[in-house]
Amino acid sequence: MVQGEVHALLGENGSGKSTLIKILSGYHRPDPGSIVRIGDEELSFGNSSLSYAVGARFVHQDLGLVEAASILDNLAYGPGFPTRAGTIRTTTARLLAQQALERVDLHVDPETLVEALSPAQKTGVGVARALLSNDDVPVRILVLDEPTARLPEQEVNKLLDIVKTVAHEGIAVLYVSHRLDEIFEIAHNVTVLRDGQKVITRPVEGLTRDELLHHLLGSELEKTHRDSSKVQSTENPILRVSGIGNEVLNDVSFDVRPGEIVGIAGISGSGREALCGTIFGGRKRDVGEVFVADSVLTAGRPDLAIAAGVAYVPAERKLHGAFMDLSATENISISNLRDLWRGLAIRLKLERRMGQTWFDKLGVKPAQASAQMMSSFSGGNQQKIVFGKWFQRQPLLFLLDEPTQGVDVGAKAELHRTLFTAAENGASIVMSSGDVDELVSTCDRVLILRSGRIVAELSGKDLTPYAMSRAALGIEDSSNEGSVL
Amino acid sequence: MSNWTSHLGFDRFSGLYIWGIFILVFGLLQPSLFFSTSTLYSVAANKAVLALVALAILVPLVTGVYDLAVGATVNFVTITVVLLIKAEVNMWLSIVIGILCGSVIGFVNGFVVVKLRVNSFIATLGMASVIAATQVIITSNQQPLPPTMAEWPKLTQTKVFGFQIVFIYMLVIAFILWWFLTYTPAGRYMFAIGSSPDAARLTGIKVDYYTWLSLVLSGTIAGFAGVLYGSLTGPSLSFGGGLLLPAFAAVFLGSTQIRPGRFNVWGTILAIYVLATGVRGLQLMTDVQWLDQMFSGLALIGAVAVAVGRQRSADERKRKAMNAASIGGLSEKTLDKVANYDEHPHIAGESRLHLAEDDR
Repeated sequence: MVQGEVHALLGENGSGKSTLIKILSGYHRPDPGSIVRIGDEELSFGNSSLSYAVGARFVHQDLGLVEAASILDNLAYGPGFPTRAGTIRTTTARLLAQQALERVDLHVDPETLVEALSPAQKTGVGVARALLSNDDVPVRILVLDEPTARLPEQEVNKLLDIVKTVAHEGIAVLYVSHRLDEIFEIAHNVTVLRDGQKVITRPVEGLTRDELLHHLLGSELEKTHRDSSKVQSTENPILRVSGIGNEVLNDVSFDVRPGEIVGIAGISGSGREALCGTIFGGRKRDVGEVFVADSVLTAGRPDLAIAAGVAYVPAERKLHGAFMDLSATENISISNLRDLWRGLAIRLKLERRMGQTWFDKLGVKPAQASAQMMSSFSGGNQQKIVFGKWFQRQPLLFLLDEPTQGVDVGAKAELHRTLFTAAENGASIVMSSGDVDELVSTCDRVLILRSGRIVAELSGKDLTPYAMSRAALGIEDSSNEGSVL
Repeated sequence: MSNWTSHLGFDRFSGLYIWGIFILVFGLLQPSLFFSTSTLYSVAANKAVLALVALAILVPLVTGVYDLAVGATVNFVTITVVLLIKAEVNMWLSIVIGILCGSVIGFVNGFVVVKLRVNSFIATLGMASVIAATQVIITSNQQPLPPTMAEWPKLTQTKVFGFQIVFIYMLVIAFILWWFLTYTPAGRYMFAIGSSPDAARLTGIKVDYYTWLSLVLSGTIAGFAGVLYGSLTGPSLSFGGGLLLPAFAAVFLGSTQIRPGRFNVWGTILAIYVLATGVRGLQLMTDVQWLDQMFSGLALIGAVAVAVGRQRSADERKRKAMNAASIGGLSEKTLDKVANYDEHPHIAGESRLHLAEDDR
């Protein structure tokens, strides 16, 4: 990369983008023999202060700003306030903050509280802070990790302007994003990573979106997927979602029939992460109706949804999906205590047996540890335990958010198999995932969300990672029957 | 090292060993005074009310909620019952009204915490002050004399196998609470809420309902404690506040016993009597006045430090296991092996597997 260059770094989830950034920032140490040069200096790995010393600066997705404090304060937390005899020199601090903000072309009063800023302005403050230096180290390279992932559409351009201003100053910008549009707008060059390897580095000029997509997804565009012939299209749907909406979803409607596995795809911020939770009642639903096997689900009542035969596996296992300081068995039995209640007491022997049954069926390891604390299991095994809890209830409908997030490859396949079994036994499954390959290999059809709306539905032969990514990113194509906004 | 300690159940029953040491040491130093049955009976009875207050705190703590109003509640109920009896209301009716007062206070606490979404620490701290003020209003700040009727002290001071019956009452309530928390769905739900309210809601548990219920139970048990105190010791305008800290100390110390890492009934009771034995033994040797307070304070801080330390060393073990797995590329296998250490009591200090089985 050269001075003033905006270089885009692209890759699917797990392609190694974040690892690369973490190596640059000194968090990870690469294998011996690796060399990174910034300016004339070679970067010594594994120490964040050394990265700082050679002029590398980072703005992470989570900006790390203190919301309740002013811009001025946030800018001063790192380098420190200018002081005289231990007292903050207010005028100087204000002046420094103003200069920092002007550098990113942001015209706001430094005394403004960060929480009062728009998302793009906040990112701007994050950039301004990264560019601040209290010593003589010149900033050479700025790394932006998915700065637009949480920005609403109309804010994106403002952020891109900031990036342009920074690059104009002669600083090299490494720009990580999922949104192809932005890359065509601001990047000079693009590098694509796949499975930890560089696929290509080339100028953006003359590149088409389709070419870029091919580089991203690789040659394995055609994947075998599940045989969907068993789904009875004539049967009444188990799940009927009609016009639901809230702050992130907009008029979403679809049906799911018994035995069907329906995937939900979309880039982050598209509403994909919110859909399952909204149907279940874990998130607020402002409009629309949800029917499960002809009974109406009340908005915001998970307990009623469960009683109606719905199971929900949230994405954040540690926060929402499991009780980390209860035992594995208790995690399984918690939704099934009525089955264990005999004559004034929960029968602990039955409870143990219930836990052990799911340990055996789902192959949880260590196999004899069902009385151990949930937190002592690895991610994949924790997720199996969460599934065990719901399988015990034999639900009609599974709503799954990132069901195999943080799960190793072996356990992933096992979880998929158990889902197939559940579907064969007549359950309906809705699965939201950021892993395109997972959706292609497990789902009968996939609904693609963009800006809170369903913009396409893919099934059968049309269900490919390629088509899915195109629809999710909103790439126009006359041959695509899905409506494109 | 950890080999023999865990064989002796040291991590779970350290309290019992300390108790044994106290009895041995003080028994040798003060054989005639310490080994008298009167010492046993008086410690048992004197601490029964404190044990009930600790149990009152335990229930909301299981649900992840603090009830700092129990001290004030106990005091208020004692005064209320004594005043009612002196106003010639039937004794049993007065007792029922007194206990209901406790429930109502718990209900109001629940309303503030669940409906008004005030942090429980703040809510119950505020309520404690309100209750204390109400007590001043109804007593005009003059301590009532104990009722003269004979049945009133008999309620708690009747002897059963030498023990004053208040000790038996306490054991019965503890037993019921143990059953409730361990063997009923409601108890399990409370533990789940205490573990993660968000996960509990998404599992279909009525988080608000059970949080509220835990505070009502807390108030009700505090009501019992208030009635029993009035009968055992007589009315006092200010004793309740002094019970709060030792009760918290016992609950947290109890969470390092019997079922380490979890608030539990028998651990709490054990903690109360271990502390009481130590304090009584020392009191027989010196006559300083600060022992009780000093012990309670140190026990509270020490217990929480032990609990935090345990959690941190468990996290550290797991982190190292994960690291070893990812570096060696052995993933599952290595992980299993490391995780299995916990299954074998001769390898690891803390063993939940065996612990759960012994609970039957």
